Amino acid sequence: MKHSIAIEVNGEAWALDVEPGEVLLDVLREKVGVKSPKIGCETGDCGACTVLYDGVSIRSCLVLGVEADGHEITTLEGLSHDGLSTLQQVMVEMSSFQCGFCAPGIVVAAHELLQQRPDPTREEVQEAIAGNLCRCTGYDPIVDAVLEAARIGPGDASQGKGP
Amino acid sequence: MTQTYVGRADEANAMGTLAVVGKGTPRIDGLDKLTGAAQYVDDMDFGAALLHAAVVESPHGYARILSIDTSKAEAVPGVVKVVTGKDFPYTFGMYMKDRYIFAQDVVRFAGEQVAAVVARDARIAKRAAALVEVEYEALPPLLDPVEALGDGAPLIHPDLGGYEHVPWFFPKENTNIAHWRKTRRGDMEAGWAAADVILEDTYTVPRYAHCAIEPHVVVAKLDQARRLTLWTASQSPYTQRDVFAQALAPLGLSHQDIRVVTPYVGGGFGGKAGVSMEIIGAALATAVPGRPVKVRWTREQEFYNTYQRQGVVARIKLGARKDGTITAIEHEMLWDAGAYVEYGANVVNAAGLSATGPYRIPNIHIDSLCIYTNLPPGGPYRGFGYSEFHFGLESHITRMAEAVGMDPVEFRKKNAIAEGDTLAYGEPMNPSGLQEAIDRTAAAIDWGVEEVSDDPNVAIGKSLCLFWKAPAMPPNASSAAFLKFNEDGSLNITVSGMELGQGYLTVMAQVASEILAVPPSKIRVETPDTDRNPYEWQTVASHVTWSCGNAVAAAALEAREKIYKVVHDARGYEEGSLYLEDQKVKCDTDPDFQMPLADFVVAGIQMPDGTFRGGPIVASGKFMPEFTSALSDPETSQGGHPNVHYTVGATGAIVEVDRETGKMRVRKAALAADVGKALNPTLIEGQITGGLLQGLATVLYEDMRFDENGVLLNPTFTDYKIPTSKDVPDEIIPIIIETPQPDGPFGARGVGEHTMIAAAPVIADAVADAVGVRLKAMPITAERVALALLGGGQEAS
Amino acid sequence: MTIASDFDYRRPATLEEAVALLAGCDRPLLLAGGTDVIPWLRNGLASPGMVVDIKAVPGLDRIEWRDGAVHIGSLVTFSDLIASEEVAATIPVLAEASHTVASVGVRNRATLVGNLCSAVPSCDAGPALLVLDAAVEVVGPDGQRGIPITEWFRGVRRTSLGPGEIVTGIAIPDPGRHGACYVKLSRYRGEDLAQVGVAVLVRPGGESRVAFGAVAPVPFRAPAIEEYLAGRALDDDTRAGLAPLVDAAISPIDDMRASKEYRYHMSRVMLLRGLAAAAARLEGGGPPYGEQVI
Repeated sequence: MKHSIAIEVNGEAWALDVEPGEVLLDVLREKVGVKSPKIGCETGDCGACTVLYDGVSIRSCLVLGVEADGHEITTLEGLSHDGLSTLQQVMVEMSSFQCGFCAPGIVVAAHELLQQRPDPTREEVQEAIAGNLCRCTGYDPIVDAVLEAARIGPGDASQGKGP
Repeated sequence: MTQTYVGRADEANAMGTLAVVGKGTPRIDGLDKLTGAAQYVDDMDFGAALLHAAVVESPHGYARILSIDTSKAEAVPGVVKVVTGKDFPYTFGMYMKDRYIFAQDVVRFAGEQVAAVVARDARIAKRAAALVEVEYEALPPLLDPVEALGDGAPLIHPDLGGYEHVPWFFPKENTNIAHWRKTRRGDMEAGWAAADVILEDTYTVPRYAHCAIEPHVVVAKLDQARRLTLWTASQSPYTQRDVFAQALAPLGLSHQDIRVVTPYVGGGFGGKAGVSMEIIGAALATAVPGRPVKVRWTREQEFYNTYQRQGVVARIKLGARKDGTITAIEHEMLWDAGAYVEYGANVVNAAGLSATGPYRIPNIHIDSLCIYTNLPPGGPYRGFGYSEFHFGLESHITRMAEAVGMDPVEFRKKNAIAEGDTLAYGEPMNPSGLQEAIDRTAAAIDWGVEEVSDDPNVAIGKSLCLFWKAPAMPPNASSAAFLKFNEDGSLNITVSGMELGQGYLTVMAQVASEILAVPPSKIRVETPDTDRNPYEWQTVASHVTWSCGNAVAAAALEAREKIYKVVHDARGYEEGSLYLEDQKVKCDTDPDFQMPLADFVVAGIQMPDGTFRGGPIVASGKFMPEFTSALSDPETSQGGHPNVHYTVGATGAIVEVDRETGKMRVRKAALAADVGKALNPTLIEGQITGGLLQGLATVLYEDMRFDENGVLLNPTFTDYKIPTSKDVPDEIIPIIIETPQPDGPFGARGVGEHTMIAAAPVIADAVADAVGVRLKAMPITAERVALALLGGGQEAS
Repeated sequence: MTIASDFDYRRPATLEEAVALLAGCDRPLLLAGGTDVIPWLRNGLASPGMVVDIKAVPGLDRIEWRDGAVHIGSLVTFSDLIASEEVAATIPVLAEASHTVASVGVRNRATLVGNLCSAVPSCDAGPALLVLDAAVEVVGPDGQRGIPITEWFRGVRRTSLGPGEIVTGIAIPDPGRHGACYVKLSRYRGEDLAQVGVAVLVRPGGESRVAFGAVAPVPFRAPAIEEYLAGRALDDDTRAGLAPLVDAAISPIDDMRASKEYRYHMSRVMLLRGLAAAAARLEGGGPPYGEQVI
């Protein structure tokens, strides 16, 4: 039986019909057409599906679409709405990612960290992205970029808003 | 054979004034990947007609299929088609045709596909697949390669003798030995006789999973005109097309009917090389003509029904003189190659040619046996046999050093292979900076200085191991590139190498940029499409920087020639006096002359009379080594030239071991690799950091467990642990060595796989150094270290 | 992501509505954070007729002091516990245990109560709440009741929660001045399920509370060990005397995560290190809460 849900995705309102058994990750990818949250494991272990849910990072593969009724979701696409954030800009310049499949989830998680702790330690950065698996980079180049973005600070980036 | 670039790039290389090559140019795909613009196969939209497939799999490791009843599944509303092996009785395979699209009368591993349901949506497909009823007669599975060699062991492939295969494979009919690579050199009796110390032991390495974060996925469509297009997450679009053409030839399809498109790929590590699950998509497309059908693997299927890194039981016997000179090596590797070895047999082959390791050894006896077992198909995994055999080999080298009373680093330096030394198959070793790699790695970890922890529970060990690897390729593996300019002076390069994350697109842009004086930001390198991009064998073997780099360089040089010719034709300057700088053509003999490329690379150059010269500048390049041959004496491997060159290096570490818990912590790791020429040092450091962590994971905590039926018990990240950001070594020191590869672009050779190869023996040696426990089987987990210490330093078997 | 089964979904606005829904449905499944429920739906471990989402029920997301106890609502997540000043000030071992669960993105949804209700033998909430003498507050068709945590776990994935009942929260009596430690054995530093879990709480006057997880079908307190430790200094004799008591108290199994032998060994090691850390913390020293001792 289909349920009508109203969700906001990256600032845009969507009215959708979903079956209870459809998870939010699939709703975002198939019905809203937002592709940056990825399907990596479907059990919440890899973090590739991470999005912000009312501003808090969650695994969208572990949420049913029907639960999301009335909630706001932000994905990587939403973070670069007004141009690249400092974090994204630094990650481009430092070539932090390789295959890029984990990048959307990690950028969302790192973004949340920098909002909460603008001056994190290395360990705090590692902890913030510890639920995002990356098989390519060995993580150090990503952590280095987050620390560099923190050092530069929000609003000092050559373009864009926020950390 | 030397690759030289006539003109500025060559001189610049020699003078060290390259503009772009050698710099840490930011990745040209960075913006795509940081904004969500990067598209992977599962992100592509195929419209309302897209069908979804779910696969029915064998629960048994070895069984006869007695019957399959698909009627209940077919009756589910929304199901379009159900297929079984009877619909596709065709074999296929890369190096040997021993595989089936769907199991025929026998299933040979738990998880093997037996049938598939195609439906309007994925949930219906999954529900219907559960309704397919298969009756099996379970047989006792062979899960151990040693057992599979025994007399009376059932033949997993009774028709082995009739399988088509490449001429350099040697299957043994009426056995489970799919291939036996023998390398023999020198006089073993004399070698043992010359030795003062002989040491023999056996090392065991289990299977491993690639765990790329992007699962395998294929969308396939046979359109109404019988054109088959596949969108795959693949390292090998052209090789895939070749295998699809081979497998589907009975349906009247050949290469021109098949198109493979691969966008960005979310990690490969060898697991997305060749063809594994994609054959299912290709076959299903032919069953539902006119409709695209998607097959996307779950994470569980990623674990048990894609290639796995093969297990190996390796017996090593080494002889050395009192002064540390190695006199002889006997290395027997029994490979657990799985149910189908069409690709994995080449892993066995590669190991069989190089299992001396990077050492100068005159008397060599290597046996590398590819043995069928009732486990998932073994195949290519970063290191391609070398990651597998270095564990035993390097552990054994260290123990040999100790047996002759020599420092393990000194022992390695004494025996390290050098340029011109004879390789196991009789050809000379290429230029390499192995001594420099050893020295700089040893210095980075303060080799020789013992460290003591403040914590009484903790012991500190140090280790240093060597690695080497050559690409394992057919002798005619080749690369090609097309290049064209655009009206704004930018250019497009089309190649069929894959951007797996290693930075391939960026490096190709840098090569072209250096020769054509166009910045990388104005160069687009396009992902593969077998209709539009020219040939690349596969993106494997750490070879595309070298091979495709050469092809791109050739294309850029051709473009440059054409540019000079047009300017000559239009303005009269001697071609030899022209050069490119800053996106313009300039002239040595007329400093005032400069013509922006953008002005003419499409439009041509206008003459005073109003006519034009030139037109679109388009170019192509190709590279294929013409000195390699896979043909050699089957009994000795002498007489051929199977490998193009080796990349060498060293890995060292300082490791803390908690004596009570067994937990290990890598405080510092150093890794030196001789890359010939670091085209992009930042990307190479990325390979060092990433590869080292992947290698450490295989030895420290990745642990595949099968039950007695051959069923994989831990096909999830919950119980097959791959590293998180909290598991990185405290410090990694990357060391880039540059001893030029004469036939490489700007002197470069590959390094993508090498960075993980020595990680496992580095841990084994460090643990032995720290707490005196020598573990000869992987993984070396905290539990095994702790229990060995409790057991008085010995391991219970 | 394919959840193959079909089910109804309801989101009641009050506790009464929730209880009524449970009573009226033959295969209901309660949903809070979903980090266990969604995987069960996907792998078929659960095929409910109706999923009842209690996240709209008001009042269940609070952490508050009341009547000499910390009350934690059933919608409180592990992230809430880690961020809570109340918890940090009065029962920091609960934040320490919370920090070992999964990762940030999962902790932002996963609830303490959900962890208790899933009741896997390795649940991290179990040992910590056992040494905190917690009580589980439940509402059902027959009204409210409190279940001591020692009576909560019945077996692997089985609890004392009756049909039609909903956990509304956990009550933890103020332990006063104390030192505590939760030690978790994982296969590496990344997220993992516990292969052994040991929680220890010591109070002035020599009282010790010890609980184990992942070494029996249920998490449990170890009264024989607690009696032995009462009033004893943690010297070499005591350490030697503890080993056989640990062996007698636990019944670990061999599985793919760890062997029985290693679990026996590590239970002893972790108890000793946990006791040392807890004793030091009682005196205001020791490793900061959150720093693992193995």
